[in-house]
Amino acid sequence: MTEPTGHILQMSGITKIFPGVVALDNANLAVREGHIHGLVGENGAGKSTIIKVLAGVYGRDAGEVVIDGAAMAAMTPAHVHAAGIRFIHQELHLVPHFTVAESVFMGQELQGWFGIKSRAMAEAAETFLKETLNAEIRGTTLIRDLGVAQRKLVQIARALIDNKARIVVFDEPTAPLASREIDQLFEAIARLKARGISMVYVSHYLGEITSICDQVTVFRNGRDVGVIEAIGPQDTGRMINMMVGRDISDLYPAKAHAPAAALLRVEALGDHKHFDNIDLEIRRGEIVGVAGLIGSGREELVDTIYGLRQPAAGRMLIDGKPVRLASPAAAVKQGIVLVPRDRRQDGLVLGMTVADNVNLASLEDVSRAYLINRPAAAKRADALAAKLDIRPRNVDTVARLLSGGNQQKVVLARWLATGSRLFILDEPTVGVDIGAKVEIYRLIERLAGDGAAVIVSSSDPNELIGLCDRIVVMLRGSIVANVDTATTSLDALIALTTGGELHEGAVA
Amino acid sequence: MTSLAQSPLAGVGRLVRAVAPSTPLIVFLAMFAYLGMASSNFLEPSTMALVLKQSVPTVVVCLGLATVVMAGGDDVVVGGIDLSVPATAVLAAAIIADLVSNHAMFIGYALLIGVAAGVVCGLVNAFLVVFFGMTPLLATFASSTAFIGISKVVTASRRINVGDPLIVWLRDGSIFGVPAGVICACLIAAVFYFVLHRTRWGLNLQAVGGSRDAAEMSGLSAARFIAQSFVIAGLVGGVASAFVLARGSGWTPGTEENLMMEMVLATFLGAAFSPRRIVTLWGAVLGAVLVSALSVGFGSVGIDIFWTGCIKGSLILIVVASAALSRKVNA
Amino acid sequence: MVLNIRQALVTSAVLAAALGLVATTSISPSWSDEALSLKGKRIGVAVVGTQHFWDREAFNGALDQVKALGGEPVPVDGGRDNQVHADNHDILLANKVDAVISILGDAAVEPKFKALKDAGIPVFTVDHLSPYSINNTTSDNYYMGTTIGRYMADALGGKGKVAVFNAFEGALRICAIRTQMWKYVLQDYPGIKIVQPELAEAFANAPEDARKKTLDLLTQYPKGTLDAIHVGCWDQPAIGVVQALQETGRTEIKVTALDAGPDTLEIMAEKDSPFVANVAQQPRKIGATSAMNVARYFAGQKLMPQTFVDVVPVKGPEEAKKVYEQLGYGKLH
Repeated sequence: MTEPTGHILQMSGITKIFPGVVALDNANLAVREGHIHGLVGENGAGKSTIIKVLAGVYGRDAGEVVIDGAAMAAMTPAHVHAAGIRFIHQELHLVPHFTVAESVFMGQELQGWFGIKSRAMAEAAETFLKETLNAEIRGTTLIRDLGVAQRKLVQIARALIDNKARIVVFDEPTAPLASREIDQLFEAIARLKARGISMVYVSHYLGEITSICDQVTVFRNGRDVGVIEAIGPQDTGRMINMMVGRDISDLYPAKAHAPAAALLRVEALGDHKHFDNIDLEIRRGEIVGVAGLIGSGREELVDTIYGLRQPAAGRMLIDGKPVRLASPAAAVKQGIVLVPRDRRQDGLVLGMTVADNVNLASLEDVSRAYLINRPAAAKRADALAAKLDIRPRNVDTVARLLSGGNQQKVVLARWLATGSRLFILDEPTVGVDIGAKVEIYRLIERLAGDGAAVIVSSSDPNELIGLCDRIVVMLRGSIVANVDTATTSLDALIALTTGGELHEGAVA
Repeated sequence: MTSLAQSPLAGVGRLVRAVAPSTPLIVFLAMFAYLGMASSNFLEPSTMALVLKQSVPTVVVCLGLATVVMAGGDDVVVGGIDLSVPATAVLAAAIIADLVSNHAMFIGYALLIGVAAGVVCGLVNAFLVVFFGMTPLLATFASSTAFIGISKVVTASRRINVGDPLIVWLRDGSIFGVPAGVICACLIAAVFYFVLHRTRWGLNLQAVGGSRDAAEMSGLSAARFIAQSFVIAGLVGGVASAFVLARGSGWTPGTEENLMMEMVLATFLGAAFSPRRIVTLWGAVLGAVLVSALSVGFGSVGIDIFWTGCIKGSLILIVVASAALSRKVNA
Repeated sequence: MVLNIRQALVTSAVLAAALGLVATTSISPSWSDEALSLKGKRIGVAVVGTQHFWDREAFNGALDQVKALGGEPVPVDGGRDNQVHADNHDILLANKVDAVISILGDAAVEPKFKALKDAGIPVFTVDHLSPYSINNTTSDNYYMGTTIGRYMADALGGKGKVAVFNAFEGALRICAIRTQMWKYVLQDYPGIKIVQPELAEAFANAPEDARKKTLDLLTQYPKGTLDAIHVGCWDQPAIGVVQALQETGRTEIKVTALDAGPDTLEIMAEKDSPFVANVAQQPRKIGATSAMNVARYFAGQKLMPQTFVDVVPVKGPEEAKKVYEQLGYGKLH
């Protein structure tokens, strides 16, 4: 094979405007023939938008797409497909009760006079999987009997079976995979590269990017902020700097609380699926952050501590006593509360008033003989609304009409009303404006100051560093680090979360 | 690893996961064992022949429902379902009976017109579901009521006898001792099997039902296949009209009710027999025969007709619930 | 019971013949039938449905009489669905019963009767004429039709507009007889006009269906433009017709129908009831008579193609009360 030099794909000056939002602002992406090109950036940086423009799913407001030297005028999914571009989406999109062969040949089945040629398809699928992806999968196996990694390979085979693919775009291909399964995928990708297929590799896992990509384009705020050639592990720090591009502001309150005795201990907790062997200790008056990408087991761990999911192994102790939480109700009895990530769906009854929402979990306190004492309930809601500065102050307002930040405060107020001792906050500031964020941070700080233990599960590394005393970092179902925020830099945290390695001494 | 945190629920879940898909199978086997013991002649060949003969109209309409379910997915609420196949059959039968008996039309033309009417019914459903985006369950329930209304207008809600030789042959005729109706139903089922399970079009239709996203990703138009499935179901309804007429020696108001109940029960029961636990043609055909066997069995044992309705209703619940449950535990 | 009936004989000459027969069949076979027996015989009894009084009584009458004669009844019920009823005959055939009593049913049963006959199983029908049946036991439908025609003409004073529920004239021969005899009588009353098109009642859930259709009819024919509603073959729809008249306050419209089971006799007995005339059948006796005919057949006796069981005409609330009591349904006040 000759040394590939030319660009097979050039997207230049791409602009995409959604009502009120500029998703892509004069963004560029250029992929060399035969290379694996990484695409990284924080959530909302524009990675998935530019991929969807390439796929023909979104039209573009400005810019040019050149494939193999030819400008693409019309870009429909069919045109893109005809140009030899294939997409391996994050979701598998396979029919569970179809066979491997039926899945690989979906839409281009082999048919003869006597109908579908099942055997020929099975053989062709097996051969293709073996030769191109180095996978031993029988063509007659049902998809639902395959592991996730094998399904991923079937998905790739489906994209490539017509042998016309020139560029393959991988969108977070390893997200659902366990570490040992990733090697199998990487081996398949290496084989594709050897066949001269160019690839775009989108991932949050910087470790993967540095190990398999040839170049990387970094996106931030809807545009490309830099291209790193000949990428290697030594570039992780540079990549993170380009991705983040800002300092931690003074959003965060001073940490005035003093951690005391342990409240919750988690020992060897696992569900054999999303996380395993988790050890954790949280003290009264302490704010502990949990960091981890989607798929790291972070959300599942938090749900398990709250009783929403059941562990398969390990145990939990509160004040040194083992507890088993069969349901969120059992957790609430133990003084554990969860402020859920999707408060609109899980946290608030949107049609009810603020007062009713505040008192929802502690009606027995303001009731006599099952009848709600309305004046008492309203009085308490008033007091809490004042304490948390919920606006509008009128507790008879319907919850739906409140802003995101104020809704979050109502959910917090409800649990303050119950006198809980362990607060689990899952993505507490998603969809909340900057002013409300500051207030919520102060509230969380006050909870800890009053002696409660707080777990903050968040995908925002700034928030974790600014708010927490300690951060446990999860990666692929395990805790890979337990760091003190006083001695951890933002870059170091991102590196830990994404499985990358920092080589330039960024760990302070 | 310690098993302290092992939830008792996990064990129940595993049990449910293992048993749920087979529940209808177990219940049916138990019923057949009971019927076999309670009725001396239930397992005799003559009774089994009767079962096959009586199952013919149900078998045919089940082919239509199975096609729609395979294209739309087996979620009863948002997936594919067509409750209007029996109503389509009854409407087509009404038209044929009126043309043949009241207007002395040649049966061949009348059948063609009846089948065409069925296709029009299918087009209506396809339009409601694909163009208007109505839930198939509601759309076909509504259209079913409308089709029955039209059939009553056509017949003035009065019985029409049909004594045409072709219809009589479908009812009483036989080829080498096998009832003509059974042979015709087998032929139709075989054609459907080939088209749905052995052709590209059929596999693509199933792909749409299995995962709409996966099909769209592979360049298949889900809307097109779903619309086609409803038209096919309408066609099936039109064809089934001949068997409905043969069975009743004419058109009688109210035939659709029992047929719809048996069709739904049979089709979803069939999923319990399929190795992939999904609605398939063979499953639906087998389900229809079993449901017919139950009707005959209950009649032989002399079980009160009201209890029979109650038992069949409960069976539908068991079948649908076990499908929902196995989906839930596998999620 | 026998004493009551004797009293009735004295008080009502009109009813004498019919009630005498009630006595013979509901208690024991009359002297000439003492030797009859169905011992060791399995008799299939198929009925179209058991929701309605008439069907249920005929069914139970047949079942009880088969048992009384020492036979083993094999019952099948069509759930008021003619198709299921027809299919049930296949089950009786597979069960290899010795004879079949088939109650009601439309033309869908004919091929089933033929199959039974071909298998050597004799078929006895109730209210269903068939070339394959040994004997049809039924009411005197000719008399029922002419009587209700006369009674209605009287109630209307010989003129007026009448709507008729007539779904089964083409499907069931007994209905054709009843309706056509009714129309035959009306030929002599040129002042009475039948509203076109005729109405079609449902076979199952008839009262509610007829109620809705009557409400539509009343909107179509405002006060003063309709004088009577007749149900041509039975009286379950009449229950709904009367309901609709009472709901809309149109009780000036006269209702006539046929069968007069206890449910409709009760409606007729109400003060100022619009339901003015009926002809009472004796369904239990019809069923029992059919079972007797089966026994007679096995005893080698010659049977007429049809056996007629007497009917009792009913006119006005007072007669309704009297017939209610005399047919053994209890006492009305």
